[in-house]
Amino acid sequence: MSGFSTFLAKEWVEIRKTWRIWVIPGMLLFFAITSPIIADVTPALMASISKSQPGVVVKMPPPTWRDSYAQLLKSLSQMVLIAVVITGAGAVSGERSSGTAVLTLTKPVSRGAFVLAKIVSQAGLLIAATVVSTAVCAVLTVVIFGPSPLGPLVMSVSIWTIDALLMIVVMTLFSAGFAARGASAGAGLGFFFLTLLISIWPPANKYSFVGLPSVSGRALMQQPTGALWPVVTALIASGLCAWGAVRVFEKQEL
Amino acid sequence: MTAESPSRPVAESPAIEISRLVKTFGDAVALDGIDLAVPQGSVFGFLGPNGAGKTTALRILTGLARPSSGAARILGTDVSTAGNVVRSRIGYLPDVPGFYPWMTATELVEFAGRLFAIDRATLRERARSLLEMAGLADVRTKVGGFSRGMKQRLGIAQALINAPSVLLLDEPTSALDPIGRRDVLEMIASLRGRTTVFFSTHILADVDRVCDTVAILDRGRVVANAPIAELKRRAAVDRLVMEVDGDPTALVSELRSRPWLRSLEQSDSQITLAVTDVKSAQRELPAAIAAAGLGLKRLEGAEQSLEDLFVELVRHAEQ
Repeated sequence: MSGFSTFLAKEWVEIRKTWRIWVIPGMLLFFAITSPIIADVTPALMASISKSQPGVVVKMPPPTWRDSYAQLLKSLSQMVLIAVVITGAGAVSGERSSGTAVLTLTKPVSRGAFVLAKIVSQAGLLIAATVVSTAVCAVLTVVIFGPSPLGPLVMSVSIWTIDALLMIVVMTLFSAGFAARGASAGAGLGFFFLTLLISIWPPANKYSFVGLPSVSGRALMQQPTGALWPVVTALIASGLCAWGAVRVFEKQEL
Repeated sequence: MTAESPSRPVAESPAIEISRLVKTFGDAVALDGIDLAVPQGSVFGFLGPNGAGKTTALRILTGLARPSSGAARILGTDVSTAGNVVRSRIGYLPDVPGFYPWMTATELVEFAGRLFAIDRATLRERARSLLEMAGLADVRTKVGGFSRGMKQRLGIAQALINAPSVLLLDEPTSALDPIGRRDVLEMIASLRGRTTVFFSTHILADVDRVCDTVAILDRGRVVANAPIAELKRRAAVDRLVMEVDGDPTALVSELRSRPWLRSLEQSDSQITLAVTDVKSAQRELPAAIAAAGLGLKRLEGAEQSLEDLFVELVRHAEQ
């Protein structure tokens, strides 16, 4: 793919030199730090609320490492995925509207290389930030709750990462297809909430990628995950969306 | 020659060859069957009013847009199928260049060079000399803080980084101050013979100054295409200026009915006529002036500026 490595290198430098280094990694790190703390103080917080309301008794078991990990997963599945949608909305459309796509694509760079470099750079940033954040959360959980198993955290975050990578590819497809960043963000949010809705239907939850959040939750609870179908369909969907993004962008006039 | 595109030997081909090129957007016709041939090594002016279709033609030549019908070839290769084969040999400056605002000028030009897989030492040397030429060698601020003129000069520098065989410039001087404009035109003129320069503009003085050949585009049609000297010579023969003694109002209205009159402009006692048959005009004018009771002070062929010709051709096409 002509120009792929040069354009990808540009993407890495751009991530390092602009706001992009702060958004997703910043959010991930923030939730990695706060999740164990929130898990630790939540019972005390609930107790103080119940004291202020006569007749209400809230009894919570003492917090454990599992509460810390669950708090992180909840934040990843909601806030961070929405952030992925918002930031990914301008991946291609932003370059098109600013004229930088013309600068690049009138040189020996294929449109396929352009789109795939966008996907790889975003995926790389997400994976790197997720690894660091997971490590930070694991360390803080040990500090607060004592010795904690690493396996459930790694497994559940890995499943979430597959879900987030699919969202990156979907957003690249929308960003290639829609001229305006707002339109692709709207389509991305629609996709996000639609998958949540569909996941209520048990067969879809069991046999398609919409079940990935449930798989992630089961991994955390150290239950049988049934990860095969959701993971395989997520990978297939990611491949199809990447192919679609390239085809859509190739057909466009700039 | 490449396997991926129908090509002809470069030596036999014009640098740019456009045949029956049509581009439509819904019902709107942006290019209406234009034909052009740009000789290798020439400086070719692509002239036209705003909205004439100049940028659309350049977008097709660069592969950013596809023709509705017809063909465009650069160095013998069809641009709609050739992809990187053509792009590796052209330089392009769009009318409003877009750059990454977080880059410096050096980073931008070197990034452009790396896309052409130019080796590091050559790239560094070439980037330095191009930025010097563009007056940006000592600028350390990010491109996001550049003025439009600085961006235009940076755009020209990046367009030359691969030492292109064909340089496509869309309104390259439109945002420049007089000194910057002069420098860019001198740079374009200096490329003559080595690089084919195809530049679109609506600034007639620029074309007059540096171009060998010009095509005038109006409403998607080529209304003139010839070496610039020939265009001016052709126009000069068809233009007469006369000065009369007295009020020429009645004479002017009488002349408007003559079949050889193409256009007429009056300024006090001076009348400028564009005519289709100069011999008939020269024969009939003295009699018409005498019949109007006026005296003839001067009647001569006029040197027509490129601007006069441009306005006349565009008006004629509109009619």
